[in-house]
Amino acid sequence: MGDRNQVRLLWGAAALVAGVVVFTLIYKGSTGLQWILSGLTVGSIYALVAMGFSVIYSSTHVINFAQGEFTMLGGVMMFTLCTSGGLPLWLGFLLTVGIVTLLGAGLERAAIHPLKDQSVITVIIVTIGMAIFIRALAKWIWGTDPVKVASFTGDKPLRFFGASIVPQSLWVFGLTLLAVVLVFAFFNRTLLGKGMRAAADNPDAASLVGVSASTSSLVAWSIAAAVGAAAGAVIAPINFAAYDAGAMLGLKGFSAAVLGGLGSAPGAVVGGLVLGVLEMITAGFAPSGYKDAVAFLILILVLLIRPQGLLGKPADVKV
Amino acid sequence: MAQKILGWKLPIALFCVLVAATLGSMGCGTQKVDTSKSIYKIGAVLSLSGPAAPLGQPEQNSLKMLESQLNAGAGVNGHKVQFIIEDDQSDPAKATAAITKLINQEGVAAIIGSSSTGATLAMVPVAESTLTTQVCCAAGTAVTKPVKKYVFRTPPTDSMAIDKVLGYLTGTLKATKIAILHDANAYGVGGATELAAKAPTKGITVVANESYGTTDTDMTPQLTKIQATPAQALVVWGTNPGPATIAKNMQQLAMKIPFIGSNGIANKTFITLAGSAANGVTFPGGNMLIPSSIPAGTPWRNAVDKFTADYKAAYGKDADTFAAHGWDAGTILTTAMKTAGTSKAQIQTAVQATKGLVGIDGTYNYSATNHDGLTAADLIMIKIVNGAWTQIK
Amino acid sequence: MDKQLARPLDDGRDYRTLGIVTAFILLIPVWARFIPGDVLHIDIVNVMVLAGIYACVVVGLNLLVGYAGQISLGHAAFFGIGAYTTAILCTRIHGFPTWLGVMAGAALSGAIGWLVGKPVLRLKGHYLAMATLGLGEIAFILFQQLKGLTGGTVGILDIPPLSIFGLKFDTDLKLYFVVWIIVMALMLLSINLMRSRVGRGLRALHSSEVAADAMGVNTSTYKVQVFVLSAAFAGLGGALFAHFQKYINPESFVLAVSIMFITMVVVGGMGNIWGGLIGVLLLTFLPQVIQAMPQWIPGLPSALQNFSNYELVLYGLLLILFMMFLPKGVADGLGRATDFTEVRARRLGDRRRAKKLEGR
Repeated sequence: MGDRNQVRLLWGAAALVAGVVVFTLIYKGSTGLQWILSGLTVGSIYALVAMGFSVIYSSTHVINFAQGEFTMLGGVMMFTLCTSGGLPLWLGFLLTVGIVTLLGAGLERAAIHPLKDQSVITVIIVTIGMAIFIRALAKWIWGTDPVKVASFTGDKPLRFFGASIVPQSLWVFGLTLLAVVLVFAFFNRTLLGKGMRAAADNPDAASLVGVSASTSSLVAWSIAAAVGAAAGAVIAPINFAAYDAGAMLGLKGFSAAVLGGLGSAPGAVVGGLVLGVLEMITAGFAPSGYKDAVAFLILILVLLIRPQGLLGKPADVKV
Repeated sequence: MAQKILGWKLPIALFCVLVAATLGSMGCGTQKVDTSKSIYKIGAVLSLSGPAAPLGQPEQNSLKMLESQLNAGAGVNGHKVQFIIEDDQSDPAKATAAITKLINQEGVAAIIGSSSTGATLAMVPVAESTLTTQVCCAAGTAVTKPVKKYVFRTPPTDSMAIDKVLGYLTGTLKATKIAILHDANAYGVGGATELAAKAPTKGITVVANESYGTTDTDMTPQLTKIQATPAQALVVWGTNPGPATIAKNMQQLAMKIPFIGSNGIANKTFITLAGSAANGVTFPGGNMLIPSSIPAGTPWRNAVDKFTADYKAAYGKDADTFAAHGWDAGTILTTAMKTAGTSKAQIQTAVQATKGLVGIDGTYNYSATNHDGLTAADLIMIKIVNGAWTQIK
Repeated sequence: MDKQLARPLDDGRDYRTLGIVTAFILLIPVWARFIPGDVLHIDIVNVMVLAGIYACVVVGLNLLVGYAGQISLGHAAFFGIGAYTTAILCTRIHGFPTWLGVMAGAALSGAIGWLVGKPVLRLKGHYLAMATLGLGEIAFILFQQLKGLTGGTVGILDIPPLSIFGLKFDTDLKLYFVVWIIVMALMLLSINLMRSRVGRGLRALHSSEVAADAMGVNTSTYKVQVFVLSAAFAGLGGALFAHFQKYINPESFVLAVSIMFITMVVVGGMGNIWGGLIGVLLLTFLPQVIQAMPQWIPGLPSALQNFSNYELVLYGLLLILFMMFLPKGVADGLGRATDFTEVRARRLGDRRRAKKLEGR
């Protein structure tokens, strides 16, 4: 497809999404607004998970199937530190992010770094193995029951125009905004970040600047783990943390990353929010069971029509 | 090259090893291990992991407690009892494999299992074809409808829970229009379908019937749809954490209609997760959740008090209805084995002839046409008030 | 060090191996019969039937992944299509022959494989992996939502056992022979395919799609053909599964199952005709062995005996370790081991002959 057509496609997609949203608001009024607000909340979590996928992919061309598990760990660790351990929320949050970041870095050094010359499918299987391992470990430690984490600022719903959100949703939005700003700034304004982007395409040139592919991979995994854990920590009061929370989040976040464009942090946010809103609107209009299909339909459509997603760079993806 | 691995020397060698092992093992042991004369073996296939783990884990705890209590005492007519417990991981395929293994390899006399309806249904063909009595802890109607000769159950069925809920809706709430919100899994679908079918016969119109995915974390779209209907009550059919999320969503949306849950939220986890949103929620549950609902001094009350005390002492947690289902299943089989020994045919006869057996969930009566044991009268409506269970008279 | 001892392709070794393996497999039930039940704590025949069913899928998937170099993370969908096809036909139409249901399952899977394969196989690498994953998930959702057809989340009960021309295969033992004869037939098909022109074309495709294209190999057609074949094999396996378990619901066709299939291919050894089989046997018996091990050691503390707590932990760990130390799979590892011993043996023989010639 030519460049002009691609631009038209992007505008068309944007118009379509905007059209759906406007239609929902007009036709369903404040009910529709409720769906959209719920969609933005869940979409923000997809966005954060998607950011994790993007960071690792753009630096190393690896798809980390264990990304959802970092988010899961963020939630259950908050439970252990704050609910069981009684630590203040801010301290629990920082510790949770810190511990999971170390874990992500550790996994990268132990299992990903030694495999840097292996084929795509080998690395995929390793990350799948990691996901299984982390999930099973979490089940062993925390059991199977979902656990509760207290909301950061209480549960009193905030209402406007007939719709409501819980205060925790604002924390989720805030974290997403902070994360995208930080990640974007890192990759576009710092030497290390720019070097990492370069390392993915031209490792020799990047190492001249002092950023080796190895460093790139380690830092990318650490960032992805941090973002994922933060997401899990902030959504735990709403979603209830449990050992199996990572699976679906991983898949949906993944679709969001592809939609927004693998390798683009703002793309991850756009993809996540759009996916979340479209999901909730689908659940509102159609039998709710088909809601989950939205993520995968979008995934396949994007891959077939424009694999680099909305904001990603074109890559050699087709034969 | 890798093709060489099966150059013909290696398989010939393995072949010889296999033949030697065959000839060697023909000398040792008996072909099939009959249930030993001194230990009564009962197999149990429970969901210790996967979505139904909250059901299977307490059941396992109960069986282990029953085993140690029986063996510390007289056992079953002097024989020690062993519950061989397998995890089906909430997967019907694994449940089938587990029951086959227990019957063929371990030579168990009877089977308990499984915790969830799907896995139980997968096990039924194996139980029936091997003439092994299977006592399940699942509440799905399909297990005993139609009645299968070798399959029994301990929990009150979903049908009974539905009857209880309908009674509460018509009797106490006097509702004529209700909405249903159910989990998309087999449990939720089964319950919702039956509820929707029975409601009109009690003069209740179902004005909304929505579903949610087991792993969903936000049910506000469905609830807003329900808000727009004239529903006077909402019946939620699912297991944790879905209903807890729904309770919180309802609080967020300021929905005032009563929330009536299913037997799936008959546990403390719901209260922990839903927090303040749990107050006012009602659901059908077993008397054992509120021991004071059973008259003091009766055998049932004494059994419940002892069971809950022992369970708390052994496991540090409160016993819930799932623990009771497991305990009762074990009790029914071991009681039957007092007269039947390890004869599979006699076990089936003895279980089917059980009358007036006082368990924790209630008093069990089986017959050739009734393999359910309990009735709707063994359930009470419970309301959550200030984070605790109270009985609704 | 590693001398790649060259071997012509047409020396019939594969057929000889197939014959030996078949004899081997057919003797296992005899051997298992004589093991007392409470020694191994594993029901070998039952596990082998399931392994055989999975092998149907994995043999086809190995052709796709190992030989044609493609990826599919959604093959549980085809497994499910095969299962549901035969289940629906045999439970809705009274007296519908089960063997026909099995064939219908394989055919429908292949057809749907063709429909989705054509557009999707234009993608490569990670993107193809993602697309097949998405397709597998959509199939699962359809299995759940199309309640009228599939029974929804409750599934389909009372599927009749397999029967061919009046012979009913309703016990594990009878099914064992049917399933494994089918697996060996599929292996035969695969060996023949790989030795034909199509096979050479596929290998060219795997090593370099661009070069293969330049040489006139019709890469896109071959890719789709192998995809369709692997889908049909998977459908065949799924249909057998339905008649084995006699009850199916969507939970048997989730993403984890697709991942299990691909893992079996990779761990067993891609690009090796026996890799799939090795992977299946290894990964089907490994959990069983891990689960049974505590029972082999009497008097183990009960905390360790509750195996389900750590089965998955070990499984995930083993996957990671396998990929790290045996990235080309067990088949390759074994191959290198036997190469090594053969080279050593040959050198020893050479040295002896040399000593003899020198008259020492």
